Amino acid sequence: MKPKIGRALVVGGGISGIRAALDLAETGYPVTLVDRAPHLGGVLSQLDNQFPTNHCGMCRMLPLVDRDAGAQYCLRKGLFHENIDIRTSTQVVGIEGEAGNFTVRLKRQPGFVDPVACIGCGRCADACSVSVADDFNAGLSMRKAIYLPVPHMLPNTYVIDPAACTRCGECINVCPTGAIRLYREGRQDFSVLVVDDEYTVRDSIKEWLEEEGFSVETVGSGEEALDLIKQQSFRMMLLDIKMPGIDGVEVLKKAKDLFPDMTVVMMTAYATVETAVEAMKTGAMDYLMKPFDPEDLAGKVIGVYEAEEAARAEEIEAGAVVFCGGSEGYDPSTGKNTFGYKVFSDVVTGLEFERLISGTGPGGGGALLRPSNGEPVKKIAWIQCVGSRDLQTDSDYCSGVCCMYAIKEAMLAKEHGPEDLESTIFYMDMRTVGKAFQRFRDAAETDQGVRFVRGRVHTVYQDTHTGKLVVSYPGEKSRRIEEDYDMVVLSTGQKPSSGTDKLAEAAGIELNPWGFVRGEPFLPAKTSREGIFCGGSFSGPKDIAESVISACSASLLASATMHSAGKGIAVAGDDTPEYIDVSHQAPKVRVILCECGGSLPEGIDLRRLAAGLEADPFVESVSFVSRICTEEGWESLAEKVKTKGYNRLLVGACTPYAYTRRIRELGGEVMLDPSLMDVCDIRSPEFAYGEETGGDAIEKAMRRSLSTGISRLRSVDPLPKQTVPVTRSALVVGGGIAGMTAALAIAEHGYDVHLVEASEHPGGNLGWLHSTVEGNDTAILLEDTTQRIEKHPLVHVHTNTTVVSAFGEVGNFFTTIETADSGPQTIQHGVVLIATGGREAETRSYGYGTSDAIVTQKELEEKVAAKAIDYSAIESVCMIQCVDSREEPRNYCSRVCCPSTLKHILQMKQQNPDISVYILYRDMMSPGFAESWYTEARKAGAVFIPYTTYAKPVVSQGEEGGSKVVISTREPLLDADVQIHADLLVLATGIVPNLPEELAGAFGAECDEDGFFREAESKWRPVDSLKEGVFGCGIALGPGSIEGSVATAGAAAQRALRILSKNAISPAAVTARVRHSLCVTCERCIAVCPYGARSIDPDTNRVLVNAVMCQGCGNCASECPNSASVLDGFFDGRMLDMIDMVME
Amino acid sequence: MAKTALYDIADKNLQGALASFLQSLLADDNISAVMVPMRQSGNDTVMQTLVTDPEQLSAADPFSPAFPMNAARLVSRLTKRSPGETVATVLRPCEIRAHIELVKLKQGQVDDIIIIGIDCPGTLQNNDFRKLAGKDPESTTDRFLTAALDGKTQFDEAVELPPACKICTHPVPEGADIGIGIFGMDIKKQFLLSAGTEKGEGLLDRLGLNVQEPPDGREEAVGSIVSAREASQGEVFAAVHEKTDTPEKLAEYLSGCINCYNCRVACPVCYCRECVFVTDVFDHDPFQYLRWAKRRGKIRMPTDTVFYHLTRMAHMTTACVGCGQCSNACPNDIPLAELFSMTASHTQNAFDYEAGRSLEEDPPLAVFREDEFAEVVEIKH
Repeated sequence: MKPKIGRALVVGGGISGIRAALDLAETGYPVTLVDRAPHLGGVLSQLDNQFPTNHCGMCRMLPLVDRDAGAQYCLRKGLFHENIDIRTSTQVVGIEGEAGNFTVRLKRQPGFVDPVACIGCGRCADACSVSVADDFNAGLSMRKAIYLPVPHMLPNTYVIDPAACTRCGECINVCPTGAIRLYREGRQDFSVLVVDDEYTVRDSIKEWLEEEGFSVETVGSGEEALDLIKQQSFRMMLLDIKMPGIDGVEVLKKAKDLFPDMTVVMMTAYATVETAVEAMKTGAMDYLMKPFDPEDLAGKVIGVYEAEEAARAEEIEAGAVVFCGGSEGYDPSTGKNTFGYKVFSDVVTGLEFERLISGTGPGGGGALLRPSNGEPVKKIAWIQCVGSRDLQTDSDYCSGVCCMYAIKEAMLAKEHGPEDLESTIFYMDMRTVGKAFQRFRDAAETDQGVRFVRGRVHTVYQDTHTGKLVVSYPGEKSRRIEEDYDMVVLSTGQKPSSGTDKLAEAAGIELNPWGFVRGEPFLPAKTSREGIFCGGSFSGPKDIAESVISACSASLLASATMHSAGKGIAVAGDDTPEYIDVSHQAPKVRVILCECGGSLPEGIDLRRLAAGLEADPFVESVSFVSRICTEEGWESLAEKVKTKGYNRLLVGACTPYAYTRRIRELGGEVMLDPSLMDVCDIRSPEFAYGEETGGDAIEKAMRRSLSTGISRLRSVDPLPKQTVPVTRSALVVGGGIAGMTAALAIAEHGYDVHLVEASEHPGGNLGWLHSTVEGNDTAILLEDTTQRIEKHPLVHVHTNTTVVSAFGEVGNFFTTIETADSGPQTIQHGVVLIATGGREAETRSYGYGTSDAIVTQKELEEKVAAKAIDYSAIESVCMIQCVDSREEPRNYCSRVCCPSTLKHILQMKQQNPDISVYILYRDMMSPGFAESWYTEARKAGAVFIPYTTYAKPVVSQGEEGGSKVVISTREPLLDADVQIHADLLVLATGIVPNLPEELAGAFGAECDEDGFFREAESKWRPVDSLKEGVFGCGIALGPGSIEGSVATAGAAAQRALRILSKNAISPAAVTARVRHSLCVTCERCIAVCPYGARSIDPDTNRVLVNAVMCQGCGNCASECPNSASVLDGFFDGRMLDMIDMVME
Repeated sequence: MAKTALYDIADKNLQGALASFLQSLLADDNISAVMVPMRQSGNDTVMQTLVTDPEQLSAADPFSPAFPMNAARLVSRLTKRSPGETVATVLRPCEIRAHIELVKLKQGQVDDIIIIGIDCPGTLQNNDFRKLAGKDPESTTDRFLTAALDGKTQFDEAVELPPACKICTHPVPEGADIGIGIFGMDIKKQFLLSAGTEKGEGLLDRLGLNVQEPPDGREEAVGSIVSAREASQGEVFAAVHEKTDTPEKLAEYLSGCINCYNCRVACPVCYCRECVFVTDVFDHDPFQYLRWAKRRGKIRMPTDTVFYHLTRMAHMTTACVGCGQCSNACPNDIPLAELFSMTASHTQNAFDYEAGRSLEEDPPLAVFREDEFAEVVEIKH
């Protein structure tokens, strides 16, 4: 019997939801993924290009271990994983129970199109006469009432927009598979009572509603109505107000007393509207004004019916819940300053800009044209902080993503617009807070000529003569400057997703003052309710990498919850199905074709097609199933595969992606390896060739598709794969907060962890940090974590210890560590986490070392903690940001210094409000909610003066014998030089990493140009190295806060658990191997392998492939001239055969 | 300027002087053997021979126009793994350049060899060599050299330089440790020794030869050979292009091919252990031939001929050194060398690469640059 294992619920199918779902699924948990939208992908389905590559790259999130469990398709098209059950158009309405044992109520929007039957042909949309603004293109183009929510989705299932649909039924008439059900079913059970003293009124209503499929009774008076509702149950009552005898309002009161759940809609003439409004207070749902249009009335009843249907919630059991509800873009038209948005069509939001230049955008071609007149854009501006960092829009926080997306868009504009396009970004601070961000900005400025202007634009208006947009902003000495532009892009920020409050209420979790979900101090992925976690921008604005990290970290906590409730991964058994060995048999393909319920176009003769296929000596037989997509159809197919005589199965149907999981299940039943089974698409040739070319062309295309499928299956190599055993323990290098957190997370899942720390005690930078700007006490965190580490029996702490050498690959590393007293020992482990952290950078700038009054941030922190500062003796303090950083050679933002500065300002001002504090900065970096502390610091009277790298502040000694230092700088608003005489000068020198290149190299990982751990991909795989099994976390990855380190530690632990949760890893069907008899060891395949999966064995002089690290990309196979390196599933002979078939 | 020395020729006997030079190499403590083209006893064949006995070197004939195979394949055999001792190998420029390509493909190395390169006035195809040697085998080399150094390409009524040599613009041994120069020299009196590497300089020093500048006319002589060859290269490429610029014309050009794969066996940079065309990939099912024939009404047998040549071209064109052995090996006289040299000049130019130029340059297909060939991939940067 299969041991029980917890199910996880992930709410929200955007990037973080997909990440969390995949994480949990890859670790072995069954997952239910719900999204209220009719599709997955969130906002990223609308964004084609991501910083810093300006490409997409979402596919890098696909499973790397046990790849066959999911389909290797573009994630923007769709997500397919055998452990993930996807429910779109579904919302969570309630969560009962406790961590480990939740009962979640889900409510599904009624679907009018059966997603299984819909083949995505699009005839319905052609037939639909309704045209409404398309949300996918941010309203810039039109769509039909039946439409594809995302044009590139797979399977391509149409949905109906119930608000726009007129129920004309034209789509039903043209649908070839009968997938659309607009009404009728279920409506007979919805009984409506019509009460009106006028016969004609009640009778015509009855007629209209019966036409819509409802059951209708009519009565002519209030008395009759009250009698009838006692005898017969009604779901809805349409009630006239003015009637002889008991009037409508009286009937309403009595009916509501008896049947509070019954929906009542009042009907009234103009004269009694006030009464109707009164009636609504009594419990009527709405009122209708006489005379009414049949469509309005029917629409109202249908609306009530559908809402009631929808309210019938389904319950599922879940061990843990991860909310990834995302955020929404700010709508500038709702603000006090709209910057001309929705007034001038050339003013667009960042999202609209992305749609305008998209290949699937409103223009279709992706050229950058002015929406107003279609002319090319030659001059374009971005305005930053629209709906962010703005008290007027209730957003005293920084959205954190707009600076980078504006830079990216400015670069994309150059690609999509004319060569000489001029682009300008108006900003307050360019928040380039990530590792590669500053260099990206610099490249935009120096290589692409993007102009950066510091200044807050106050007005955008249109010059009525030229039609150009005029941007007005304050320049030096606050002089007003006006510039003309063809297009203005508003860099709109992130707002809490609509409905966040309701969802939080349903889930019983708390929100923060800005309306996002409140995370626990130091653990933002943890909500206020045990067992419920939060990933992505649901808990505050985040970019893609941060979303991915927080989703990983949330899924780790969810996994830990289920594990501690006894539903963990460790109890899940190994249920690898056994397959019959067919490697010594000649290929025999059994072909089963779906007749699609007889809806194939005329002129296509499936029997003739079958006869042609049977002539192929490798085809065993061809048979038919009426409709595979129905349950009966699938059963009939399952029956047909039970008889022996074949060793390959090809199914001809539609939407092959939809069958991945079922085919694998079927393989388990008949003991045939799923790689010997395939579904090929015989429906889409019809759309490609259309009706005009006729049946012949379509049939030929179907035959081509099937012959290709037969060739593909014929040459599958059915040899079983070697699995790679896993040593189920981890090595964590570095005992700071990141290392300790990761070690604990892994140990809590039941695996041994060796934690190696070079110094005497674990703790890292928490040893000298005392509090954060939020006022959280770091000492408590340190003490709590260290105690848990010491107590946990599976965490083996090695202090005063360093890594001497290492070798091995994912699943089995052998690392020699050396401890000061006890000498070397070798540890065998399956994964390694590098958490070597970082330290405050040293400096020689700004007179450091020449005066006791000049200190670094760390020194100030230590003095504050030691109470060595006499605040009353201080008149003036100066702080210089970005000391030696954000310029070459240390051209990155250290991220922690600005929040530390804000903390120090507020501490000082609290101790002595009279201290003058001056901050000399380049860009204040307070992303997210840290912005509010920046606001606080300004309110407290701190003076912020910007400087540039061209004119840095100059520090000199004050008067002879005095203790002050003098800082001279340019004040741009005054446009004058100023001097600050300070008792204390604090230098923010930033962070440098502690990661020796040899250490990273020992495990096959790399350092980046600044010495941090090089991640496989900065956005989509932010804690992995390219070498599987090696992960980075904490400051080793890049500068970050304590929360950031804890989050990356969780993420790295989660990535490690994917591997540790398995006894052995089975390689995927598509994996490269070497045919040694043909190999001449030129090693070119080793050079081109991006995953480091190949090496040469010096003893045998053979090229080895680690089948688990291999991702089946095929670089090696295409590099190898004589196919000594081959990719299983894409063997040359097979490919040639398939090409041959396609060319037929 | 590389270190050079002049080696005196006694009694106007070039062959004798070369033999004594090679003997002095064998006498060097660091060199265990010399590999050099030698007249084989009993017939008029000249073949590379690995020699350890200095006496045997009297039959050495490095300037013989015989070119039965490109010796890079032999050097690869000697150096694929370290032999533990050093061998001096006497090679033509195209053999050196082919070896450099093989080193990049991990099929050999240069650490355990000393490359003695020779100025190459050209070679003869196997049949032509036999025709020329037939009458008076002893004097073949002298007769050939006298005519060739005089700028002649025709040696007998029916014997001329093959196209590959006529269009070869690399007559001087680049990349050799020591080059033996005869262009612009009076080969009755002296030949030139020039060290191209530190290893070569060390050897020149150990041999105790006086360092002397090359004579004035040498540079000019080399220049005029190269420019004459460049001119014929242009003509040949234009003619080949005309004959092969459509798939149909190309098929016609190759129509004599019988899929013997001799060209690939003779090619020094076709380094695969076994060509993909003789593996299971092309082991078609019998019914497949019939299927093809049915589809088009006819199918040329053997099949896959143009496909084979195009595949070979795709695989080795960036490594092609233009030695002409493919043509030499073809039983049906298909002018392969011209076709492959022309393609190679295009592909190597495209990657700013030259086969055999330097060990430092990675083979183009082993290097990935995202920003190259934007016009091909249509990515705007």
